[in-house]
Amino acid sequence: MSKHINLTLKVWRQKNQKEKGHFETIAAPQISTEMSFLEMLDVVNEKMTTEGKEPIAFDHDCREGICGMCGAVVNGRPHGALKGTTLCQLHMRHFNDGDTIAIEPFRAMAFKVIKDLAVDRSAFDQIIQAGGFISVNAGGAQDANNLPVPQERAELAMDAAQCIGCGACVAACPNASAMLFVSAKVSQFALLPQGRPEAARRALAMVRAMDRLGFGNCGNETECEAECPKGISISNIARLNREFFKASFGSSIK
Amino acid sequence: MLLDGKVPTGPIAEKWDRHRFELKLVNPANKRKYDIIVVGTGLAGGSAAATLAELGYNVKAFCFQDSPRRAHSIAAQGGINAAKNYPNDGDSIWRLFYDTVKGGDFRAREANVYRLAQVSNHIIDHCVAQGIPFARDYGGLLANRSFGGAQVSRTFYARGQTGQQLLLGCYSSLMRQVGAGKVTLLPRREMLDLVIVKGHAKGILVRNLITGELERHGADAVVLATGGYGNVFFLSTNAMGSNVTAAYRAYLKGALFANPCFTQIHPTCIPVHGTYQSKLTLMSESLRNDGRVWVPQKAGDKRPPYQIPENERDYFLERKYPSFGNLVPRDVASRNAKQQCDAGKGVGATGLAVYLDFADAIKRDGRAVIERKYGNLFEMYEKITGEDPYVTPMMIYPAVHYTMGGLWVDYNLMSNIPGLFVIGEANFSDHGANRLGASALMQGLADGYFILPYTIGGYLAGSAKLNPATSSPEFDACERAVQERVNRLLAIKGKRTVDDFHRQLGSIMWDYCGMSRNNAGLEKARGLIQSLRAEFWQNVTVPGDEKDFNQSLERAGRVADFLEFAELMVIDALERQESCGGHFNEAYQTPENEALRDDEKFCHVAAWEYKGTGKAPELHKEPLTFENVHLTQRSYK
Amino acid sequence: MNWLAATFASSIGKKLLMAITGFFFCFFLAVHLAGNLTLYGGSDSFNSYAAHLHSLGKLLVVAEWGMVLFALIHIITGLTLFYQNFQARPQRYQINKSAGGRTLGSATMPYTGVLVLAFVIFHLLNFHFVDKSQTTIYDIVSAAFASPLYVILYVIAMVVVAVHVSHGFWSAFQTVGANHPKYMPTIRTLSILFALLVGLGFGLLPIFISISA
Repeated sequence: MSKHINLTLKVWRQKNQKEKGHFETIAAPQISTEMSFLEMLDVVNEKMTTEGKEPIAFDHDCREGICGMCGAVVNGRPHGALKGTTLCQLHMRHFNDGDTIAIEPFRAMAFKVIKDLAVDRSAFDQIIQAGGFISVNAGGAQDANNLPVPQERAELAMDAAQCIGCGACVAACPNASAMLFVSAKVSQFALLPQGRPEAARRALAMVRAMDRLGFGNCGNETECEAECPKGISISNIARLNREFFKASFGSSIK
Repeated sequence: MLLDGKVPTGPIAEKWDRHRFELKLVNPANKRKYDIIVVGTGLAGGSAAATLAELGYNVKAFCFQDSPRRAHSIAAQGGINAAKNYPNDGDSIWRLFYDTVKGGDFRAREANVYRLAQVSNHIIDHCVAQGIPFARDYGGLLANRSFGGAQVSRTFYARGQTGQQLLLGCYSSLMRQVGAGKVTLLPRREMLDLVIVKGHAKGILVRNLITGELERHGADAVVLATGGYGNVFFLSTNAMGSNVTAAYRAYLKGALFANPCFTQIHPTCIPVHGTYQSKLTLMSESLRNDGRVWVPQKAGDKRPPYQIPENERDYFLERKYPSFGNLVPRDVASRNAKQQCDAGKGVGATGLAVYLDFADAIKRDGRAVIERKYGNLFEMYEKITGEDPYVTPMMIYPAVHYTMGGLWVDYNLMSNIPGLFVIGEANFSDHGANRLGASALMQGLADGYFILPYTIGGYLAGSAKLNPATSSPEFDACERAVQERVNRLLAIKGKRTVDDFHRQLGSIMWDYCGMSRNNAGLEKARGLIQSLRAEFWQNVTVPGDEKDFNQSLERAGRVADFLEFAELMVIDALERQESCGGHFNEAYQTPENEALRDDEKFCHVAAWEYKGTGKAPELHKEPLTFENVHLTQRSYK
Repeated sequence: MNWLAATFASSIGKKLLMAITGFFFCFFLAVHLAGNLTLYGGSDSFNSYAAHLHSLGKLLVVAEWGMVLFALIHIITGLTLFYQNFQARPQRYQINKSAGGRTLGSATMPYTGVLVLAFVIFHLLNFHFVDKSQTTIYDIVSAAFASPLYVILYVIAMVVVAVHVSHGFWSAFQTVGANHPKYMPTIRTLSILFALLVGLGFGLLPIFISISA
């Protein structure tokens, strides 16, 4: 049942990309435990606005855990400590009266802070631009059922395709590596017959884009898998590695 | 004035083919000379931008989110319809067409709907080729399920994340074109005005949401794919950023707004639980395939559900609609839930909820089967409410979900402003007064992949090339007006926050222009909106700076437009003195409390023209003729 | 850049280098341990093992230089990765918590790696680059482990090696792409077992020798 708790927030405030940031302590009294984490921030922001202060900037949109736009590091954990949950779906019933909550932006060289908790994740778009697609133009496709796909493969592809591109894997990785994100997209297409013709080119191009954009190297720490709100498995990273080796040593693409 | 939808002549099944032949073509070598602006990157905008670039046009794609992949199409759960008839259960293009026209309560344009059903099959083919991992059966062929009141299984799905997979499919096509240099991607931009030059739509003015700079963008044509206006209700299943601004700004520039009062209230959402609530979460209506909807028979019965014996429960949908049962269309299910709650039989802390009970399904099929079908939805429910739906029945209540109304477009998806095309939820054309489940994804992708890319060529080839410099006086005037509005918002420095106004507007709209409406309430709402709008421009406070990442300023602009648009909705609802689909006027109902249409007087599209501040908008009518489907009273008994 | 250089310069290519050389060192550890077990047999058995090893002649030289090469690749690539990974997050988190993915081994890889390097140099100075014309290798070893300081140092070093290997072993499988839902749990268990084997197998030797002397 609903009750109210009093919290202290330590929030990262940063005016823009260039200026240095700092932690600001903000009281969050009388927070209903039925609220979502972002609704709690809404309430804090409303209060700050009426007090003439500038509210906390944070990205969010769908608030149902699918668009991937929200995310912050809460007490050292991307999207908070609850497993398999985005920040917008984390509810305040998982906190206790009197808690102090530290809120930081996702931090990585490739994710620059825009303001406060909002970061620039356009590097992910650039990785997809390099090869995260199947080159098919609208209009030319054959009948959908002309190409049977074994159910197990389709399900594995779907497991990988669930990635919401939130960047929690990068935020959680001690090395700020984007391998889980890249591997999810490479795996989805590598598992499907439609994706095979371009598999080699895709793996090479996406890995090169990832390296160029300043992400770290995978150390098989598996923090990404443990933190991913959609439960994407590191078996996809192994598949990406295989695809990359096949492409590097087995294909004629340079 | 009577509007001409420019529907081609001839038998309905041949209209589209013939029209495609008759449309003028742009020579492949000339396509690269044309610039096209696409605003919005959901299923409609994303697919349109990608396809136009594939054809060779230069495209600029805009969205307010940080990436095109965030567009709210991503949240669609259930599926996408197509007339493939793979299950061999009697489906056909004609049946999909018929169901959609009937489901829309005969307020859609027949020819558009038929075309939608025709291209539905191509969408599935294309999406599979894109690598979208649709559900498959053991033989490796595509699986189908029945959805939202259809009596055939024509819905293709990817678990409970069909919208996500379809959107990521068109996002990947779009990214491919960005990589190829054919699409310039401009995320974190909000369209604040439409620029019209010599009567044609030739550009837009946007605000860069990071720097706060106003930017001018010119083109040979402008495509709006900016989604619906459900957030006028504050609480809806839309994303937080979804707004009416782009469409409303186009309306202020002369585009007609059609049927704004047609809003869809979705029956299976998680009930409201507090005043701080920011949005409502939809539970896929596929849940109604196995869940049974009930309330206690006695009003005010506050016992927990497990203490209410079977014979004291009222399974009201099964009782009233024996043949469709829990699977009646959305508007019918929603209204019935409201009626039960209004009669004091609602459950939960607020009394604004009904049960959706899986106990029988679990008993019949076993928990494992139910878990496989709905596991992710049950998990989501538990995350939000903290209750386990395997043990306690879910509580659901209707919530605003989709808006059938939108900018008026002709058969070519072009508005009355030449060069301004409107696609997806932002236009009005295909769903009439009520949208069927799994049809929104179909329409968005049909418009973007297979319809607009043809019809826009017809416009470009048929009109003089005119892509003015962004330094033209039209752009100057536009930027001045937008700048002045931004300055005004920041200068008020009042006492109430933007969200505070928005929340109040939402409650006015929900109470008087929501699931059921009456003339007195609508009149009252109109006054309340006007005074709230006046207060907004006196007393709103927008902190922060103009040239900055300022989310309060973004919201202020959107809410200011909602405050004007809300009145247009009420005006439209007052004008339409009948009930149809999602528009239910209490004065017009059958003895069984179903929507009672008035086909004599209202079998038309109501398209409103802006006439200036403080002046009443002018109504234009496009008569709807039904040559292929007979106008009947919808019945789901 | 040449395609081969480009491959090994990429993030996954560097990981491949680490995995291949890592595999080799795991193999080396196993062989080294098997040889060292002769220590339990006393002076004669160990000396004869050493003599047998030296009878390989040129082969041994090739193996030794090969090992140096692999060690250089492993060390240089490892340090490069460490540096790049540090660069990838210029602003660190104020509060850093694990979601349960990291292990003691994975979290300390660069540090245990450097410690192992230091130990290897120390170890080679002790037992490899010494004048063996006057004495047998067994005598050198037993003389060294007569000092409790050496015993403690070696035991600690073996714990460090075991921690390094506990992550390195399965990680090398994952890097070369050998991840399968049926076999991966076994590989991860093997990784722990192998680490224990290396730690206990090598770590007990100095203790055994210091006691038996």
